[in-house]
Amino acid sequence: MTRRVPPDSNSSQGPGLRQWSGIEELSGDPAFQAWVDAEYPAAAEFTPTARREFLKLMGASFALAGLTGCEKSPFVAALPYVDQPQDVSIGVPKNYATAVVLDGYAQPVIATTYSGRPTKLEGNPDHPVTQGRSDIFMQAAVLGLYDPDRAQGPTRRGEPVSWNDVADHIGALRAEWGRTQGEGLRLLTGPVTSPTLSRQLDALLKQFPKARIHTHEPVADGGRRNLTAAAYGQPLDVDYQLESCAVVVSFDDDLLGPGPDQVRRARSWSSARRRDGNGPGLRLHMAESVPSITGAMAGDRLVTEASRMPSLAQALASKAGVTGAAMPDLTPVEREWIDRAAAACRSAQGRALIVANAFGDVATASWVARTNEALAASSLLRFTTPLQSVANAGALADLVAEVTAGQVETLVVVDTNPVYSASGSLNFREGMQKIRSSLHLGLQRDETGELCEWQLPLTHALESWGDARAIDGTATIIQPVISPFYDVRTVHQVVAMMSGQLDPAAEAIVRETWRSRLPGDFETAWRQSLRDGFVRDTAAEAVLVRPDPAEIVPPFADDGLDIVFRPDPTVWDGQFANIGWLQELPKPLTTLTWGNVIAVSPALAKRIDVANGDHVKVTIRERSTVGPAWIAPGQADNTVALYLGYGRMRAGRVGDGIGYDAYAIRPVDQPWLTKGTLHKVGTAEVLAVTQLHHRMDGFDFVREVSVEHPALQPPPAQPSLYPARASSKNAWGMVIDLDSCIGCNACVVACTAENNVPVVGKDQVKIGREMHWLRIARYFTGEIEAPRSFFQPVPCMHCEDAPCEMGCPVDATTHSPEGVNQMVYNRCIGTRTCSSYCPYKVRRFNFYDYRNAPDSPEQAAHNPDVTLRSRGVMEKCTYCTQRIEAAHVAADKENRPLREGDVVTACQSACPTRAIVFGDINDPDSEVSRLRRDGRHYALLEEQGTRPRTTYLARWNDKRGDRQG
Amino acid sequence: MTDRSADVLPVNQSLGGVTEQLAGIPLHFPARRRWLATMVFACALLLLLMVSIAALFTRGVGIWGINIPVNWAFAIHNYVWWLGIGHAGTLISAFLLLTGSEWRNSLNRFAETMTLFAVICAGIYPVLHLGRPWYLYWMFPYPATMGVWPQFRSPLEWDIWAVLTYLTVSLAFWYTGLIPDLAAARDRARSRGWQIFFGITALGWRGSAAHWSRWSQAYRLTAGLAVPLVVSVHSEVSLLFAAGQIPGWHSTIFPPYFVLGAAFSGFAVVSIIAIALRFWFGLENLVTDEHLDLLGKVLLATGLMTAYGYVFEVFDALYSGGPHEIQTLIDRIAGAYAWTYWGALVFNFIPLQALWWRRVRRCGSALLLISASVVVGMWLERYMILVTSLYRDFLVSSWGEFTPTFWDWSTYFGTIGLFLVPFLLAIRFIPMISIFETKELLHEEQEERHGG
Amino acid sequence: MTQIFAPAADTWLRLFLAGGLALLGGGLVGVIGFAHSAYMTSTDFRPQQPVPFSHKHHAGELGIDCRYCHSGVETGPQAGLPPTTTCMTCHSQIWTNAAMLEPVRQSLTQQKPIAWTRVAKLPDYVFFRHDIHVVKGVGCETCHGRIDTMPLTYRAKAFTMEFCIDCHRDPMPNLRPEESITAMGWRTPSDTQKQREAIAAHEGIRFGELTHCYVCHR
Repeated sequence: MTRRVPPDSNSSQGPGLRQWSGIEELSGDPAFQAWVDAEYPAAAEFTPTARREFLKLMGASFALAGLTGCEKSPFVAALPYVDQPQDVSIGVPKNYATAVVLDGYAQPVIATTYSGRPTKLEGNPDHPVTQGRSDIFMQAAVLGLYDPDRAQGPTRRGEPVSWNDVADHIGALRAEWGRTQGEGLRLLTGPVTSPTLSRQLDALLKQFPKARIHTHEPVADGGRRNLTAAAYGQPLDVDYQLESCAVVVSFDDDLLGPGPDQVRRARSWSSARRRDGNGPGLRLHMAESVPSITGAMAGDRLVTEASRMPSLAQALASKAGVTGAAMPDLTPVEREWIDRAAAACRSAQGRALIVANAFGDVATASWVARTNEALAASSLLRFTTPLQSVANAGALADLVAEVTAGQVETLVVVDTNPVYSASGSLNFREGMQKIRSSLHLGLQRDETGELCEWQLPLTHALESWGDARAIDGTATIIQPVISPFYDVRTVHQVVAMMSGQLDPAAEAIVRETWRSRLPGDFETAWRQSLRDGFVRDTAAEAVLVRPDPAEIVPPFADDGLDIVFRPDPTVWDGQFANIGWLQELPKPLTTLTWGNVIAVSPALAKRIDVANGDHVKVTIRERSTVGPAWIAPGQADNTVALYLGYGRMRAGRVGDGIGYDAYAIRPVDQPWLTKGTLHKVGTAEVLAVTQLHHRMDGFDFVREVSVEHPALQPPPAQPSLYPARASSKNAWGMVIDLDSCIGCNACVVACTAENNVPVVGKDQVKIGREMHWLRIARYFTGEIEAPRSFFQPVPCMHCEDAPCEMGCPVDATTHSPEGVNQMVYNRCIGTRTCSSYCPYKVRRFNFYDYRNAPDSPEQAAHNPDVTLRSRGVMEKCTYCTQRIEAAHVAADKENRPLREGDVVTACQSACPTRAIVFGDINDPDSEVSRLRRDGRHYALLEEQGTRPRTTYLARWNDKRGDRQG
Repeated sequence: MTDRSADVLPVNQSLGGVTEQLAGIPLHFPARRRWLATMVFACALLLLLMVSIAALFTRGVGIWGINIPVNWAFAIHNYVWWLGIGHAGTLISAFLLLTGSEWRNSLNRFAETMTLFAVICAGIYPVLHLGRPWYLYWMFPYPATMGVWPQFRSPLEWDIWAVLTYLTVSLAFWYTGLIPDLAAARDRARSRGWQIFFGITALGWRGSAAHWSRWSQAYRLTAGLAVPLVVSVHSEVSLLFAAGQIPGWHSTIFPPYFVLGAAFSGFAVVSIIAIALRFWFGLENLVTDEHLDLLGKVLLATGLMTAYGYVFEVFDALYSGGPHEIQTLIDRIAGAYAWTYWGALVFNFIPLQALWWRRVRRCGSALLLISASVVVGMWLERYMILVTSLYRDFLVSSWGEFTPTFWDWSTYFGTIGLFLVPFLLAIRFIPMISIFETKELLHEEQEERHGG
Repeated sequence: MTQIFAPAADTWLRLFLAGGLALLGGGLVGVIGFAHSAYMTSTDFRPQQPVPFSHKHHAGELGIDCRYCHSGVETGPQAGLPPTTTCMTCHSQIWTNAAMLEPVRQSLTQQKPIAWTRVAKLPDYVFFRHDIHVVKGVGCETCHGRIDTMPLTYRAKAFTMEFCIDCHRDPMPNLRPEESITAMGWRTPSDTQKQREAIAAHEGIRFGELTHCYVCHR
């Protein structure tokens, strides 16, 4: 799909042209907003749902798309361009290479735009590190662009002001800083990898030498830099060379889990896992306290407290013969696990890698470092100097100290939200009162923006000129794919204003940075980089380090429960709280949506007698918070897990007031693991989970093969009374490799974005009405204390003998000659027979009208090639039929047959592990046909005789894990 | 036959008396107050239905408790229940007419009336449960500008036809049977208005020999049509489920199981009405203990046959050995909705056993209670068949729950109003027991006596 | 006892019944007819346009090719309405101050698009692509009729699903050689069938695959 645009169209004007080719163009337009507000002043106050209902009742008939019942007059206005730009062809999507940003790291994307409207992000296939793969945050970023609650213009104490006022104020401040050399000026930034921003900040500090910069990273890389500092004597970024590993032993390290590094690790993990066809290429031994998706994939999983990790690491170290590693006393289960792990490492001969939790403790990290060295695994680790380094920046705690000491005159908060995400014990909110003048630069007028005197709204990455480094250091020059539709500036523009430029041009600043850095002719290199979506050969240099031999002090032992803090799998540190797609995304192991839980072990739950949803109170050093309990199968007995990112108050209409705020009780000195107590409160709530039952109950939905028996029984041939359906040239099919699926949900968000799947809200999810076309079924087997977990993506099976098809009285669901089970929304009358008959229950029904309010900016995020479904119609996975048809048209226009790779479904292209393969099963050489011949191939519920086109590859069962299971 | 029917009606009453008594009910209506009270209650329910439907059409089927996987619940469930009730009427009249069991003559009229309105209640549900009811007409084959037709493979498509046919034939049958009595009422009517009303509705019946012969031909012919329909309709309805692969549905026992269940619940309602009417209008001389006795026997018989269906369902599941079938069986017996299964068993079959005793059968109040329990039991059975099959089908990951909402209930109770209102009107305005047929029977009996 | 009804009552009743039935049947036929009517299919009416643009003049008399203004027709889903600048290529030279062209000039000066009223509009759940039809040999005329004879543009064909599906079932009769795509009043030569088959073969029409739902609905 990724057709590049000629460089000239990426010129400074940017592709986001303001001409409008249809009313959908207007939706993001302030003028249009103003019109709606003028029409319905009351509506402005409403929640999105209420607003939608209201507008409906008002008969707001300017629906932008979707099934409008029977309209008599088709004679609607058509607005041509006044002067049609050369590169615009209406209705033909264009693709731009750029990047969105997660915790400062670039996530390289190809943005698909329709007449200047980005609607879908795909991974950039040429990018050296992500290679076209993506994760949930990248997929959901496009909705963030259209977030209706973004700050739409600069404000001072909540009152709208103009950028001129801002310029004046900054001018005044500068005069003052000039006098004091920046005494009392403090900047607080989030995680930053942008060369341009670093350059600007350095320049600013040169102007005002007494100013100071602090950074606030509520999650970012966890404590990795501190850990490496302790273990190797200097802060480092580390890249696991998983491709070359045969064995990985993880001490509580959720290496496949969400975060900036997920894509790279998942990709290399799966390719290692698939290395040789006749067995798992990589075996994972994992000791963990809180069930993670990595643990779910581990063949040999040990359940133990987080505070036990140092001892375990030490044990393995002593097994590996690390000097000074005495064998600590372990429980029998622990000892067995260590023995197996040690044995595995030995047999791996230098291809065994030990990894420690980035959210873990120093001792574990140090032992792991030494063990790796002892195992000669240093070639499996690639160390680089940290990317996220603002020159000698202070920590948030220091800033707070200075603030309380009254040394801070002016605070500039750059794109971070300390008022919400600072540890409660810092009392940042109170501190803010002491500051005379404060500016907040951010996408939203969030908790911090509200408290600061000035709130200066920033552009979304997709509207920005900027740059950032990907996880491996490769820089991407971020180009806008749409021009800002609010009165906003890029962060670089604002910082430039602070260093004295008046209304600088967004692009110029970035060019300035790269003029000196790009090799050869600048313009050529610049365009090249824009077209590629990254700057070649900018990956960080590897550094050679040896573990620091310093004395390892075991972390203080303390009685009480282990309290573990984790970023939320879907809203991360809270920055995505207002993105409906991510709120409604079932969290990998709990299938929980719209909220966070306090995860407790089954044993602990029994001890204090709580069930899922019962409120419990967690107390850490006199600070406490209350949240709903969740009994996590396979969680360590005395470990309680709190999830950050919820309990926000100024996130917006979507994210406000959901869940509890774990930051409030998070200690500054022990941000990830601490001790505390837990009590039952007595109240309870119903949690919005999408899967009520998790045991596989002895069924074989997820099948397994082992090295001993690498092939499944082929199913008996199924006779049919009906003649086989004649197939046309192409016959579409999908194979999902359950050994590669890590349940990361990237496919689900991609599907949501591609197919305009609506967000239905917490209450609807509670009563089982979520709309995801693709659900990731999650099962466990074995006893609840230490279960084995399985993921199984379940889209429509596109059965060749589909029960749904014979049920529909109006032929709204039919079979295409290419074997796709078609759902025709505009023919559907909503008898729901198809869903009743569907053995897989993959169909979704619009019980209400779930569409966005006709005037909401989210409308602009919709894929114009997919109908918006109205109330009362069934919908389901279509194999991204719009992509199939587009491919057909393209091929037919060239009068050629479709080729392998012409059609890539959204889920397939998003999957970081390439677990989903889609293609033509009539073509014997296609990837999908090859996999269908694989010994691990099987069909779900094949005994039902539905002959699904979507089938699975069984998961490898690393035998060594069995005693755990 | 005759020797049994000989003691159905007490012989010591005049033919004219019977006519006076029955045609008199609509003409100078007794029990006005009781009727009015019931009518008010019924209208309240009907109003509730109207409100529910308004809410449904403005907001969508989302107001009900349905979800994925349980996307069929109260609507289909009550549809089946009502349609089942609507069976007895035609069964009694047509079937027993053809087998010449004259004892039916006192019951068939209101049984048929009941059928008519029950079928109407059932009939509205397939419309209500649609996601987009305004496109209902797409289910009918007509030359559309879309150039597409309904899908005739779909059980729902057959369903529309089955129900409509059944409704039409029942209506025709009911009206044909009514004509002579309307004429009788016309002749006895005093006021002009009544005369015209009955005059028109009697279609100019003059009771000539020709009329009678044509009439009886037509009547028997329609009866002949109606009987197979009784079987076809509910077999068809059962296919709504049996055609799907869902465990607990996908079974060949369903058609007979449904038909018998339908007859069972239908007869229960007939007995309820029979007892109520004879108590209201003092018709002990026409709806005799003998009738109750016979009704009791039929109820017992159909009940036992339905019970056989239950037994066979369990056997089927076990014999099939399909893990999902067995899973569903377990869920029914011990799952979250086990109360529907056990409820159905208890209400349907435990009180029923009392009908083995003649004294119970002949005791109005006892039969009334038993019938009531059967009606409840059958309602629970439909609930069970739908919900316990859907809420946990094949994939564990898709298992769900179902909780009816206020609107589910209000729509259901509303339809009871929709049933009662026209039924009460019918009681008010037309002879509720077939005058001439009763007289015919009475006459025969008296002949017997004098002759014998 | 007095008669209630006149002797004719029976006849009246019969007539009444018969009439009722007839009315019912007639009504049904009427409704279906109405759905096919010019009114319902909007083929009956020429919407008022901001500028009384005449295809008859431009396409017919001047013989400007369709693609000059509807430039997207071969490349994209939408043929596209011409941007104001396209009009001005000529009208900056000729009729430079004709009153009826005032809106065009205004549009250019005020940079406001001309609000044409769309004539050929499909429901938004129909995903029609011009490019593939044109490339595969379906002429403009097939759907838009003799546009070159329309002083004020109207919808020549009823855009009902019937209309589309007929051609999708058997495109043959509507296929024409590439060079005649935009030709108006194009007559198929004598050896019609052979030529059509030739075209179909040459274009690689995927017969039988064009009727499934996802071709047009998604």
